Amino acid sequence: MGPLAVDILGKTLKNPVMNASGTLGYGIEIEPLWNIDILGAYVTKGLSEKPHHGNKTPRVWEERCGMINSIGLQNVGVEYFFSHYFPFFEEKKLPIIVNFFGFTEDEYVSCARKIPSHDLIVALEMNLSCPNIKKGGISFGKDAPAVHNIVRAVRDVTSVPLIAKLTPEVKNIVEIARAAHEGGADGLTLINTMPAAIIDTRTRSMPLKGGLSGPVLKPIALRAVYECYREIPIPIIGAGGIMDVEDALEFLMAGARAIEIGTATFVDPFTMPKVIAGLNSWLKENNYAGIPAITGIAHG
Amino acid sequence: MDDMPGIITENSALIPGYHRLTVRLERPLGKVSPGQFVMLKVPDPEVFLRRPFSIYDARDRTVTVMYRVVGKGTDALSRARKKAPVMVLGPLGRGFSIPPAGACLVIAGGIGYAGVRMLLKRLGKRAALFLGITGKTELPLLSDLKGVEVLTATLDGSHGYHGNVVSLLKERFAPHRSQGPTIFACGPKGMIISLKEFLEPDKVPCQVSIEERMACGLGLCFGCIAETKDDTNPFKRVCKEGPVFDLWDLSL
Repeated sequence: MGPLAVDILGKTLKNPVMNASGTLGYGIEIEPLWNIDILGAYVTKGLSEKPHHGNKTPRVWEERCGMINSIGLQNVGVEYFFSHYFPFFEEKKLPIIVNFFGFTEDEYVSCARKIPSHDLIVALEMNLSCPNIKKGGISFGKDAPAVHNIVRAVRDVTSVPLIAKLTPEVKNIVEIARAAHEGGADGLTLINTMPAAIIDTRTRSMPLKGGLSGPVLKPIALRAVYECYREIPIPIIGAGGIMDVEDALEFLMAGARAIEIGTATFVDPFTMPKVIAGLNSWLKENNYAGIPAITGIAHG
Repeated sequence: MDDMPGIITENSALIPGYHRLTVRLERPLGKVSPGQFVMLKVPDPEVFLRRPFSIYDARDRTVTVMYRVVGKGTDALSRARKKAPVMVLGPLGRGFSIPPAGACLVIAGGIGYAGVRMLLKRLGKRAALFLGITGKTELPLLSDLKGVEVLTATLDGSHGYHGNVVSLLKERFAPHRSQGPTIFACGPKGMIISLKEFLEPDKVPCQVSIEERMACGLGLCFGCIAETKDDTNPFKRVCKEGPVFDLWDLSL
């Protein structure tokens, strides 16, 4: 392990750089451009107990400083992922974080049960926050007692470390993070996309509602990481609008143990390799022995 | 496949609203199948995501696309000057598969021509192009197409057949039918649907290149999808499993 190594949830990763769930396909798609095993870990596309077809088009729309998506969590299902895609990560010995979701509490639980315990699985990342799925008006991520209960329900059926991925669309994210922690979460991913909409003046319509991502989200995410770092004693993975190494450093200094890069990959598919190389040079130029030396350094 | 810096060497309006853009790349684009596309970083900070364009031509270290100005991205691109730097990611997606022998009928509607131009060049004398355009003012789009039979339909009747391109095909299809032709098509959704209705009785082999809003172009985000008849996995990625699909696999 080199100077970029980070310890998280009982594992040592070679660097703190990961993809955000759903922004790097099933992992194999990026291979023509760069080797995925340069990442600290791969975060899976959001998986559900059963395959899910997702939403109709349009699913993506550009904004000035980001984009809005409404993919609707299309995925092959958790069993298919482990039979067809997981061997690729085993062959590469690349640690993964398994992002998963359900439409009901029972579905979260039964999906988590189907995820095996394996040396390469760093954690399960519970999507408590997708703006594009809501059934029966339930939104799992916005109410502290609901978060506590659903995290507890999943905690009871798996021995794999559990990360709660939270939505920024709440009154007080520290309170939600505390509920997740007390429910049994071992870590937090902060933050998911922000609910948003598009109006098309040419068609005089609203073609798309969905999750806003990209650089527009970064300051909101940084604040969430900064505040939760002070209050909640579990590791944080920072996500939201990271476009380059400077952004990545900001999250690490705010207290993130690792970071996830999403939308930036669509703008420049080499963003992640560039951030990894950039972190290495930055540490050298600034005489830090490793990433832990700067984690949360902004708190003084 | 690679992501390469390039410099714009041509960005001329062929007719108002239709441009041809050529980029000189650092390295050759590599092997391109007709129907594949590139994701272009528009040299304007106001345009956040890349834009997909069918490859119109690729040789040595240059790549050419033809586009119609339809929104913010193409509008900004139309104002890019010569020597402006761009990033070009490609070649992407699955292109047309060309049968080893036999007649090929290529149906293009409007700017859909840009999606089949490289195919026409590859097919040469084996191909006949059925082109649907608004009027004769759009004929200059074809100015550099040589050695291919072209049958034109204009909506205003100012050149060739008066009507839409699928009506023209219906009128001229009889002599081709016996030769077991392959059809290739690129154009607006309405054109593809009426083409499908016409070809349905005989299920004539037909490949269509379709368009969708994209974010990544690499199959990473599942933002661009086409609905197919595959029951277990109906939503296919236009950028990865397409943009060329078998017409008979699509749910239109």
